Amino acid sequence: MSVLAADPVVAADTPRRQRRGQGGLGWYALSRTLSAAATLVFVVVFNFFLFRVLPGDPIALYTRGRNVDRERLAELRRALNRPLTEQFWSYIQNPFSQAIDSTRFSRPVWDVIGDRVWPTLLLLGVSTSLAAGIGIWLGIRSAWERGRRFDRVSTGVTLTLYAMPEFWLGMLLLIVLSTGVGFFPGIFPSGGVSSPGIDVFSIAGVLDLAWHLALPALTLTLAYLAEYSLVMRSSLVDEMSQDYLTTARAKGLTDRLVRRRHAVPNAMLPTISLIFLNIGFVVSGAITVETVFSWPGLGQLSYEAIRGPDVALLQAIFLLFSLAVVVANLLADLLVAAMDPRVRQ
Amino acid sequence: MSRAGGSPEMSPSGSLGGRSQRTLARTRRRASRRRFLAGFLAQRSGVAGLAVLGLFAVLALLAPLLFDSSQLDVTRATGAGLEAPSGEFWLGTDENGRPVLALVVWGARVSLVVGLTATLISMVIGTLVGIGSAHFRGWFGGLLERITDWFLVIPFLPLAIVLATVLGQSLVTIIAVIGLTSWPGTARLVRAQTLAVEARPYLERAKVLGGGDWHQMTRHVLPNVMPLVLANTTLTVAIAILSETTLSFLGLGDPFRISWGTMLDNAFSNGAISSGAWWYLLSPGLCVVAVVLAFTLVGRALEVVLDPRRTSS
Amino acid sequence: MAIAVGAAAPALAADADPVIMTVGITQDVDSLNPFTGIVAEAYEMYGLIYDSLTGYSQEDFSPVPGLAESWEPSEDGLTWTYAIREGVTFSDGEPLTSADVVYTFRRIIDGTYEQTNWGNYVANITDVEAPDDQTVVMTVAVPTPIMQAMPVPILPEHVWDVIDGSAVADYSNEPDEEGGSVGSGPFRLIEHSANQFLRFEANPDHWSGAPNIDGLTFRIFTNQDSMAQALRRGEIDVADALEANVFNSLQDVEGIETVAAAYSGFDELAMNVGAALDDGTPIGDGHPALADVEVRRAIAHAVDTETLVERALGGYGTPGTTVIPSLYDRLHLAPAAPYEFDLDEANRILDDAGYELGADGVRMMPDGSQPLNFRIFARQESPSGQTSVEFIAGWLTEIGMQIEIEVVSEDSLTEIIGNGEFDMFEWGWVVEPDPDYQLSTFTCASRSYVEDGITYANLSDSFYCNPDYDELYALQATQIDLAERAETVREMQQILYDDVPYVVTYYYDNLEAYRSDRFTGFQPQPAPNGSLLFQYGSYSYRNVEAVSGDDDAVDAGGGGSAVTIAVVAGAVVVALGGFLFLRSRRKPADEVE
Repeated sequence: MSVLAADPVVAADTPRRQRRGQGGLGWYALSRTLSAAATLVFVVVFNFFLFRVLPGDPIALYTRGRNVDRERLAELRRALNRPLTEQFWSYIQNPFSQAIDSTRFSRPVWDVIGDRVWPTLLLLGVSTSLAAGIGIWLGIRSAWERGRRFDRVSTGVTLTLYAMPEFWLGMLLLIVLSTGVGFFPGIFPSGGVSSPGIDVFSIAGVLDLAWHLALPALTLTLAYLAEYSLVMRSSLVDEMSQDYLTTARAKGLTDRLVRRRHAVPNAMLPTISLIFLNIGFVVSGAITVETVFSWPGLGQLSYEAIRGPDVALLQAIFLLFSLAVVVANLLADLLVAAMDPRVRQ
Repeated sequence: MSRAGGSPEMSPSGSLGGRSQRTLARTRRRASRRRFLAGFLAQRSGVAGLAVLGLFAVLALLAPLLFDSSQLDVTRATGAGLEAPSGEFWLGTDENGRPVLALVVWGARVSLVVGLTATLISMVIGTLVGIGSAHFRGWFGGLLERITDWFLVIPFLPLAIVLATVLGQSLVTIIAVIGLTSWPGTARLVRAQTLAVEARPYLERAKVLGGGDWHQMTRHVLPNVMPLVLANTTLTVAIAILSETTLSFLGLGDPFRISWGTMLDNAFSNGAISSGAWWYLLSPGLCVVAVVLAFTLVGRALEVVLDPRRTSS
Repeated sequence: MAIAVGAAAPALAADADPVIMTVGITQDVDSLNPFTGIVAEAYEMYGLIYDSLTGYSQEDFSPVPGLAESWEPSEDGLTWTYAIREGVTFSDGEPLTSADVVYTFRRIIDGTYEQTNWGNYVANITDVEAPDDQTVVMTVAVPTPIMQAMPVPILPEHVWDVIDGSAVADYSNEPDEEGGSVGSGPFRLIEHSANQFLRFEANPDHWSGAPNIDGLTFRIFTNQDSMAQALRRGEIDVADALEANVFNSLQDVEGIETVAAAYSGFDELAMNVGAALDDGTPIGDGHPALADVEVRRAIAHAVDTETLVERALGGYGTPGTTVIPSLYDRLHLAPAAPYEFDLDEANRILDDAGYELGADGVRMMPDGSQPLNFRIFARQESPSGQTSVEFIAGWLTEIGMQIEIEVVSEDSLTEIIGNGEFDMFEWGWVVEPDPDYQLSTFTCASRSYVEDGITYANLSDSFYCNPDYDELYALQATQIDLAERAETVREMQQILYDDVPYVVTYYYDNLEAYRSDRFTGFQPQPAPNGSLLFQYGSYSYRNVEAVSGDDDAVDAGGGGSAVTIAVVAGAVVVALGGFLFLRSRRKPADEVE
């Protein structure tokens, strides 16, 4: 959507030269950012209304088994039963307000969430980096040796990994490498992020963290790399049928250089774009794998929030995840646009 | 693919040396179908996938005959909890003493039904929205495109969790949730295809000849778009089954039905790992992998056959 | 023993290493603020951080001295004088005096938010005073036995004074806050990592004597499996609240002792005996047949509690009878004529009462108005509850009832109950040593009420209302003599047993396991077969001690081998990466374009 074209005066005066190139990127960035912002507003509104439909009386559950003053109960109820429009406005003004309490933790939801962000970031960061690195390499190699043994084996393996529920893979790894089965040693911990009492900033603490991180990261890496490898492979295969590569080979370049300098960089763009588009998949993986490994991050928090359900917490987590994904998609869009001018119109 | 406009040599009433236009179209369609079949059968992985699917479909349909539904009744379970595989229980028992083999076969019904129904919903919505957003150039098409993009961006599992929590736990909820969250992928694909189809010259001609929106969409766009939609559908079923497994594992499935996902949830929540009850974990998991892989292979084979640009893997 | 990773804790002489017991729990505290926390884990921590005036004895829950060395009611029972121990200090060094006791009680009595958790203990207290540093005098409106069972945690005035009524709801009481978790209890909280662990150190100056262990760590597991594995590997020393299957998998493991402890909870099949508001207005749509006590008695005969224990609990429980669990053997009533599982008897009762069997096998009301179609609600949070309901549905079908099972969340069920829109449901209660609260749930006044046009659920979930019962309830609330009160409580249980608003299905066990090769000296409450942890007291924590022997090898091994593997794996990865990188660096001449 070009803003320039909408204003005929500007369009007429501006020499053709200036409408392409860097100016295009700026306007593109603006339009994508506005679009992302609109999406976010939509998410916030959707979030609010969806949960008002929820049945159940959370106050009564909270007070079951305890003798609560009737006045106090009435107060709690009044807070919950304010008119819808009033609740809506106060939510819209600040969805991140400290006034929203989690019913399960009796603390502001954003405090609860704040505690759990770094384990998820750590796990996802390590897993996606490893998966991207290995998966992309695997995809490139498979595409280049298309039809040969390496390709057949690796495609078979990645397709099988892709078909596996990642939490199932996690449970299998737990049985094999944590409980220990047959001659496999049970050397990894059964869950958690660190052993209590260890100073996380010491060398021992860091190693302990790595020891706990090993299995969940392995699970997620295997789950993600399947997707990345398949995507990279198909992008590269598409790219390899292009004419300009025949020219490059005719010039006398070795296969490896044709691949490295021409085919791969051009195939990377759609790959990166598809990878970012699937960030939702990364988030889903985090939720189930954190549950299996008792990794105290946002994913496991979601699992706990479902039991109840702790509505305020679910709402906040959904908002946060959507925010992260929208921002990631925006960054990907801008990155691709910066590298490929064709995208900008 | 038949060309409804016909070649210039044919008169509008359509006769060419004795054969009517209709017969010619039918012959062409039959020939293309035979080509399609031959092409598909040449994909060994696709055929293998189809065979696996056939096996599971048969098992699912014959479930009531193979294992009486009383075997699913908790109150009539005869085994001890989490028994290892033996002569009596080929795949061992679950935590209530029910035979895992019976559970897995009955579970196939739910997992497959959910996958297929959700995909149907997703395909219908996706196709309609995709064609609509490409065909209608004005604000309506733009709106449809925005909605598609919005749904695409929102992460699947958090949205599914939110919807499932609000709508309550039942089979219908799971189907609705998966259907409502997976149509955007199809819509995007259909939109791209529709845009490509509508750029073809014969469609301009159809418009000039007076074909309305509906005629264009059903008679021209749809037949050209459908094959790729079909290929995409098989892949969507694979994802739908994985989604059902994940949602059931998280505890959002129907508590009264056995599906592979609820079996994995029960295994996880009832100490299968620390008891070393590998049979309880492996059985439903391997079934999921097999079925999802089969659908994926069939889908990829279809893509290869239908899209001449792609060469086989 | 502390979990040591490799070189971080070199093996020292046994008495230089602190003895730390690690307990696995399945839920973090929801709040360390005693005015906010609800979950059982939170109350367990309050019992460690704070002291209370009295405690419950280990043998049979009778009142024992706590911070109050002794207490004396006046002749008319309206004035209570407590003698506070001397020399008790808080963890920050400040002395604990009667002023702190008065402050704590006044805070609850005068507060609103503070009433939520502790209001029912101070409901009758009209005045609290401290004539001197070691004496507290409380005045009550009516003589009440609760004055001897006062688990209210005594808070330091100098810390809580600055937190006023509006700020108290947000006060986290976390140990890293100014004055957080300052208490006089047997253990001091030094670290709380949200959803991971809580670390305590022993209070050597505690009035009950220094605990035998130096520290206590609670590790939170969200999954039973990982907790059981951690116990096997020695990462934790005790696991509590295990499920039957997980418990079974730990049975014959060397070094681990499993305990199926009697517990103070019961599950029941509750019936809608006539839903109405506290003023008598009928509400909801319960089936009229359940208002007939004969129908309820027939149902009682149709529930095989032994099978339920066997199948829903895996055998870990006791068939239920009355609403005070058999654990409280001073108060529990074993009925003289229990309802035997007898489907023929149930059928006979229904036939005699005029509920004729229709052609479709479903009985009709005596006036022929409607068939006996009942809805039973099960909770999605409880698999054992769902199993129970499935069995019960099967039995009730055999005595001519048509059953529809619905599984809902506990949240939804509370609202459904409050509105009286049910016939039966399955749930449970945990009963405190003082029976007052539990017995109150059957009074007429505990039924739902209406405010601003909305119906709110109260404690009564069967809507039972019997004036005779209410009279006895009022009586037991004033009987200070333990034996007299026990008699009244037993009479009330008999009334409830005869009228069957609940069919108590079972008293479930609390399944625990601990490493007997590391720790010994757990104190069950009540002796001999009660819970080791999560008691109404902290007996185990204060008395447990390490088994003498060399424990360093056990866990240092686990950490050490992992470190070795990590280092080796890391080296291999680095070497591989380096090799691949070097290989690709070679640049032959023909690579120039």
